[in-house]
Formats: sequence, structure tokens, C-alpha cells
Amino acid sequence: VAAGPVLDPHLTQVFQVLTIFVFAPGVSGAIAHVEARLQGRRGPRVLQPYYDLAKLFRKETLVPEDASWVFLAAPVLAFTCYLIVPLLIPELTTYGLPLGYMGDILGGGFLLALAGFSVALAAAETNAPYAQLGSSRAMTFSALIEPSILFVTFAVALITTTDLPYAEAAASRASFASAIRPAHLLAVVAFFLVVLQDTGRIPVETHTSTLEFGMIDEARTLEHSGPALALLKWGSNMKQLILYVLLLNVFATPWGLAGSGRAGAVGLAVVIFIGKALGVGVLFTLIDNSFSKLRLFKITEFMAAAFLLAVLSVLVLFVGGGG
Amino acid sequence: MSSLMAAAGVSVPSTFSGVAEGLTVVVLLSEFAMLRAPLSRSQIRLYAFQSLTVTALAAYVAAAKHVPDLYILAGLSLALKVIIVPAVVLRLLRDARVELVASNRASVASMTLLAIVLAVFGIFVIGTLPVRSHSLPTAAFSLAGAVVLVAFVLVILRADVVSQAVGFFSLENGVSVASLVVAAGLPLVVEVAFLFDLLVAVVVFGVLMRVHHSRTATLSTDILDRLKG
Repeated sequence: VAAGPVLDPHLTQVFQVLTIFVFAPGVSGAIAHVEARLQGRRGPRVLQPYYDLAKLFRKETLVPEDASWVFLAAPVLAFTCYLIVPLLIPELTTYGLPLGYMGDILGGGFLLALAGFSVALAAAETNAPYAQLGSSRAMTFSALIEPSILFVTFAVALITTTDLPYAEAAASRASFASAIRPAHLLAVVAFFLVVLQDTGRIPVETHTSTLEFGMIDEARTLEHSGPALALLKWGSNMKQLILYVLLLNVFATPWGLAGSGRAGAVGLAVVIFIGKALGVGVLFTLIDNSFSKLRLFKITEFMAAAFLLAVLSVLVLFVGGGG
Repeated sequence: MSSLMAAAGVSVPSTFSGVAEGLTVVVLLSEFAMLRAPLSRSQIRLYAFQSLTVTALAAYVAAAKHVPDLYILAGLSLALKVIIVPAVVLRLLRDARVELVASNRASVASMTLLAIVLAVFGIFVIGTLPVRSHSLPTAAFSLAGAVVLVAFVLVILRADVVSQAVGFFSLENGVSVASLVVAAGLPLVVEVAFLFDLLVAVVVFGVLMRVHHSRTATLSTDILDRLKG
């Protein structure tokens, strides 16, 4: 599609951020709706997350007695990080936009880690047992999944000799042989498991659960209220969509992105991306409905599996010379 | 190392070697899956799946490289390793009526990490051998070595008779993959001799399982450590 005027690259880049910003709650709502249907419930409306956010923004903010300014600053900082990451990743276009090379995979990873860290810090500050439990668990498990992310990054570095998400997407798009090379497939599956963990899905966490003992990520926000909670919820929706961008547009299916800056191509890329995100979201709900949650101390087995796949991906690259 | 990295960065393997390596990786991954599978029955099913992958690999090489001998090997391994051996072991297991044998000598995560370390060792050591094959990518040879080493971990760290049998059988799968790399045109007699070896092993392990179970009423080998009297 080469219709419409050529957009300013900066404008396209703003669209990348806006797509994540606007559609993130909607994608979560659609996934929740499908999930409810699969479980035989009618489920909430697709637009329910927007209503929830609107309600929370109108409510007052309550702060625990022991908390300092960090408690209120953390949601804003996390939200800002999630707004910056879409600038760095191939979300709508195949080519890098003006600020696209500002940070590589490590830069994006740092921003995501900073967001997670600030939320965990705010939770640790509250002096409330469940929030602190969630905070310490979230940090523990994100440290345990870190080796897998590192080895996926190594695999990307060996495949592309860079650590730019744009280069990895281009490398897997290059030919059929490069899309099915074992090293690439292993990295895709390893990263899929990482996303499963990072978005708080079964087998790691029941994301809809209200039982505090099983919570990891969810427990961190228990003490927040009002606009701060809205920002946290919106932020976690955006984080989910950002991880989908990385999984889909960098690793698994880097097709359907705009090759030019024309308005029609960019618009189509938005539609295709949302479609792909809904598709992978449905896949995640299917996994949610077919497996049971792992016991907390068995989660290391899941991490070991992700690590195994990521390590094998790097190994195959080394021994094959090109595997 | 730097030359390796450069090579990896530039060249993309052909579709043939991509698929062949992919199948070998699946063989290695199912070895890891056997290591963690809690039920003896699921271990045997995984072994059948692994054998099926080896069969598919042999058939794929036969088709792509025009080695008709390999079709015979693929057919034999399909009949023996995918159907007969798992069926016999499952039958023995059903007679033993033992569902779950608590047999891990270490936690699953530590077993996996240890196996990863060994696999890395095997892959690099075998990768340095100057073996160049015209039938399969060299990476498959290294991966086959890793399969053998992980099979040893399975035999050593899972203390039950079924794991030891399945570990030995799947070790043979690793050797089959290696033999596909080293000599796809290996005289068929040698390949069939390998398979015959496997049959002997099945008989031996079958007797072992029966005797062990009838004496100790369990499939766990932990009890053998204890002194009698």
C-alpha cells in the first residue's frame, strides 16, 4: 500500500508511541474478553479497561503512612519509561526512525528494568506485607529470567553482529532459510517464555487471581489507589503490548510493517500489528486455560527451560558457524 | 572465536541444513524433557517421540541427498524404536503397576543446569574434531555428542530402573544421529547391528526391571544402596 502523503518520520515515531498508549488497554480488554469466553463466562466488555482507568483517575489518592515521595513518583517514572521504549523498537516501520537508534536492545531492556524496579521500590516502601512480598518476588524472578534474556541477546548479536532490534527483524525477514534457522527458532521460543513470565501469565502467575499468596507482579500494586493505580495499570498494559512488539515484530513474525513513510502504509501497519497482538494474546489465553500454575518453588524449572532454549540457540550458532 | 563470530554473523545456513539441524535440536530437547519428566510413562512416550524425530531425520537425509539405503534404516527404526520398544517397555511398566517413582537425586533445575554444562562441553569438544560430512551439517555431530552426555546425566541422576533403560535407549538415538553425520553411506549391516544391539538391551533391561520389581516391589534403585541384614 503506497497511498497517501509521505508522513514526516518524526510524526510516524509519535504514532508508534500513540499506538501503544491508546491501544494497550483495549488489547488487554479484548484478551480478557476472549479468556472469559473460553472459560464459559460472558466476560467484561472489550472497552472495560478504559472505563476502569477513567474511574480510577477521578478517585482520590491514598498514601500509606510510612511511604515517602517515592511511592507517588514511581508510577509516573514507570509510565514514562513505557512511553520511551516504543521509540526504540520496530513497531510500525521496517526502517529505523529518527530516534530509533537512540538505544539498542540493552537500552530498551534497561528502561523496562528501570520501570519494574521503580514499581518494586514503591511497593517495598509501603511497609505492607503483601506488597513487599510481591516486590521481593518480582525482583527475584526477574533476576532469574535475566540469563535467558541475555542469551537471547547474544543470539541476536551473533546473527546480526549488532544488538539492534531493527537488524534482528531485518535478518529474520531476509529469507525463508533465515526464518527457519534453528538458532532463530530457539531464540523465538525462549523469548516467548520470557514474555510469558514478564506478563504474569500461567504457568508462572495467575494474572486474574485475587489470592495474595500466589501473586508476584500483581501484589506490588495492592497499596496504590486513584490516579497512581491507574498509571500502574495502564503502564502494565503498555508493557504487555511492548513485549508483544518485541516478540512479534522483532522475533516471531517481523512481517506486515510499513516499508515507506506513506500514510496508508503506516495506517495498515497499525491495523496489522493490533491484529497480530490480538492473535498472540489469544495464544496466551489458550495456554492460560490449558496449563495449571506452577508452585512458586517450581517456577525455577520454567526458568531453566527458557535458559536451556536460549543457551542452545547460541551454541548452535557457534558450532554451526551459521546454524 | 572471532572468526566464528564473523562467520555466524554473515552466513545463513541453507534450508536443508536448517531443517536437519532443527531436527537434531529437537532430539536434544526431548532428551532434556526426559530428564525432567516426572512419570515413567511420559519418559517412554518422549523416547518414542525422540525416535520418531531420528527416523524423520534419516528419511529427510535420504530424500534430500538421495541415499536410498537410509530409507531402510528409517523404516527399521520406525518399526523398532518408535513402536515395538516403547510398547514393550510400557507393557512391562503396566505389569509393574508403579505409577510414580520419586527418583530425582537433585532438583529439576539443578539437573537441567548440570546437563546444560555437560551439553556445552560435549558440543565444543566434538566441534573441534575435524569431521566434515557431506550428508549433514557438522553441528548435528556436536549436538549428537550432547545427546549422549545428557543421556548419561539421565542415567546417573534419576534413580529408577525405567530412567536407566530409557537413558540407555536414547543414548543409542544420539549414536544413530552421529552415525548419520559421520557416514550416511555406512554399510547397512553396521546400522542394523546397532539396532540389534538395542534389541538385546531391551531384553536385558526388561529382565532387570522384572527381577528388580519382584524383589523390591519398587522400580526405584535407591534401595540398592542400603546394606542388608
